Amino acid sequence: MRIKIDEGIHLNVVPSKQFKTTSISFQFMEPLRREAVGARTLLTSLLETSSADYPEANLLAAKLEDMYGASFGIGVSRAGRVHRVGANIRVLADSYTDRPLLPEALNFMRAVLLRPKLTDGQFDAETFTRERDNLHTYLDSMTDDRGTQASLGLQRAYFDDAAQALPSFGTAADLEQITQAEMLSVYERMINSNPIEIIVLGDVDPDACVDLVRMMGLKPRPELDTGVVYDQEVHGGVRVLQESANVQQSKLNLAYHVASDEFGPRYYANAVASELFGGSPLSLLFRNVREKNSMAYYASSSLNLNRHLMMVQTGIDAANKQRVEELIAEQLAAVAAGRFDDGQFADVKAGMISDRRAALDSPQYLSDTALTAALFPESGLTPAAELEHINAVTRADVEEAAAHMQLQAVYFLKGEAK
Amino acid sequence: MLASEEFSQVQETLWTDTLENGLKLQFVVKPDYHKTYAMFTTDFGAIDNSFRLEGEEEYTTVPAGTAHFLEHKLFDKADYDAFDLFGKTGASSNAFTSATQTSYLFSASDHIAENVAILLDFVQDPYFTDATVEKEKGIIGQEIQMYRDDPNWRLYSGILGNLYPQHPLHIDVAGSVASIATITPDILRRVHRGFYQPANMTLTVVGNFDRDEIYNLVQHNQEKKAGTKLPQLERGVQPDYDANSILPYRATRLPISRAKGIVGVKGLQEIPDSFSGLKTVFALRLFLEMIFGDSGQTYLDLYNRGVIDDSFFSEFNAGRGFNYMTLGCDSANPAQLTEELIAVLTAYKDSPDFNEARFNELKHAASGKFYSSLNSLESIANQLASQSFKSVAAFAIPDVINAVTFADVQTAAAALVNSDALSVFHLLAEEEAE
Repeated sequence: MRIKIDEGIHLNVVPSKQFKTTSISFQFMEPLRREAVGARTLLTSLLETSSADYPEANLLAAKLEDMYGASFGIGVSRAGRVHRVGANIRVLADSYTDRPLLPEALNFMRAVLLRPKLTDGQFDAETFTRERDNLHTYLDSMTDDRGTQASLGLQRAYFDDAAQALPSFGTAADLEQITQAEMLSVYERMINSNPIEIIVLGDVDPDACVDLVRMMGLKPRPELDTGVVYDQEVHGGVRVLQESANVQQSKLNLAYHVASDEFGPRYYANAVASELFGGSPLSLLFRNVREKNSMAYYASSSLNLNRHLMMVQTGIDAANKQRVEELIAEQLAAVAAGRFDDGQFADVKAGMISDRRAALDSPQYLSDTALTAALFPESGLTPAAELEHINAVTRADVEEAAAHMQLQAVYFLKGEAK
Repeated sequence: MLASEEFSQVQETLWTDTLENGLKLQFVVKPDYHKTYAMFTTDFGAIDNSFRLEGEEEYTTVPAGTAHFLEHKLFDKADYDAFDLFGKTGASSNAFTSATQTSYLFSASDHIAENVAILLDFVQDPYFTDATVEKEKGIIGQEIQMYRDDPNWRLYSGILGNLYPQHPLHIDVAGSVASIATITPDILRRVHRGFYQPANMTLTVVGNFDRDEIYNLVQHNQEKKAGTKLPQLERGVQPDYDANSILPYRATRLPISRAKGIVGVKGLQEIPDSFSGLKTVFALRLFLEMIFGDSGQTYLDLYNRGVIDDSFFSEFNAGRGFNYMTLGCDSANPAQLTEELIAVLTAYKDSPDFNEARFNELKHAASGKFYSSLNSLESIANQLASQSFKSVAAFAIPDVINAVTFADVQTAAAALVNSDALSVFHLLAEEEAE
């Protein structure tokens, strides 16, 4: 249930006795802006490290330990056109503790979000410099992980708009420009003006949650006025981006434009088509690129319908690049042409339905679904509705969906190690 | 007959039995949940590269990566693939190999009995041909290359190589492209016959299923397969608690922008399989939290001085025939990093963080974290399965943590932290090309 706490502030309560924990998530949302993402990422590091009540990182960590080893973190993410700062805490349910932890957890969230460690109206200078430098180093070294390098490279190749093309957490170069004054204004915008969705999941009383959230004293703010979905216009030709590194395995990643509606028939047709193409061990990519041709350990597809995008990722021998590209194209063509048998089609759908039923056992999935439903109020999205939609998808729907998937970009990381 | 045991602290009931053929069963019924997660585990992993079957004179040594190769190959049958059988019921399946165990699993929200039968049959009825074994070499070759490009994995295997140069723990679980090239169907058959005997295996089922139905099914399934007497198995791998073999330092260069350092401490004493042994394991994990945990003075000091960052990690592992501690971090200066970590570690008695008050706080947090870890069926099954060849069940871990005293931590740390048992590994950036 979604409860309006104040203008621009909503509380989503998902009551459940199933878990040993209570999860609380605060999502601060704003339209994605290229120039803000680096600063918002640094902000998460500052807030996570210290606050007025816990002025050193070890005191903050000790408070979490005192709450029976609660887990806590703040991070950024992108949902299409929306950029989010998410602050999450998970505490034990009352039956495992000698005192209720929900009020304490919300007090803690108030302390870290609303009472940062400021000196003369600025973030603590030493913390600011150290966290900025640490984050700079971290972002600089992200491509040491070659899977990350390939997936970031593919986004860069696919998107024209820099806000979409670059990582949701910004780049190292972004951090070099950030001043204290800017940092403070980014913080103030987040805490006073960003629309907030709060999700509480666990064995909780919704009325008590409302009272606890009200006690935090968050100010009213405008509602989110941005649509979530970002859809880049299809262009002719395929953009190719190639890099090389002294590594053993090459990475070949492909990006396709996907035409979709929002949680309607086309959305679920795309989801089934992508699953059949490359979403599981039953898929054509797994069977034919990996099992039949022995070309890869992994070859899979994933779908991001907030950005109308499907991505394929593979790890291969550089010498096999052309053959793998042909094989991938053949598999998508096979889905579009209906070259899959009824049994395979039924199995893939059954697998998706089973996965979603199984996901009802995941606090993360339940919490994410509540947030997505809040962002798409018209969609009527619930875990149960998803099952019905998937069930209704026909072979013809899947063929049609695959036929509209258009290859737009190819990224190749060429491994040059002997 | 299944017997039940209540674990009131974790609020769970564990049903167990050992069948006539020696197969151990562990069931946890969770009616609030929607799915069931089942795991079939053998007490056989990458370190078991040598064995002798009853009646044989000599030990057979198999190529590095055999356990993992076998894990891949069991899915493949004469006219079907186990992935597809599970898939027909909507279940998803997977498998993994560690140093000491191999596990096969499925998760499903329906057709549980059917899937349990598929799981038992595909693991127990091997089918290998030259062609299917050859085909797998390409796939696993890609898996090996992927890991060799992964800096964190290289760091970890680097320190294991230093601590255990004469023990198979230093060999990669997947082996190498050269070692797997020599694997044949015959090798896989022999290993399967030796290590996949029911008495060497556990079936763990956790979730929303009918306990009696599954129990009867497993019993009948196993009775059907009874018949030939299975040969006694002797493992060739020996425990390694030897300080003399340790390589004190090595470094490797990779195309990375951020260097890394790791310190390893090799356990020189066996930790017995008992309640008190498990207490030692948790005492050492609490020790690491005390000295290097992020609520301590030491962590704050190292962090504020830029010696460590958020990538810092520390852990203590104990397995069949070995135990070791590792701690490390990304660093611009790995030599300084590992020097400082060793200085803190060896002078732990003087640490401002080594006191009874802090010990009590961390113990309280450790139990809480363990309860939270039982939220997911996967985690329950994994923990039960990995403890299943030991004498203390995973659900008893809160009792173990409760029983640990500060004196236990002092004793365990004094036994483990030993300057002869230390080693350092650095992962450095490649030098700029001229």
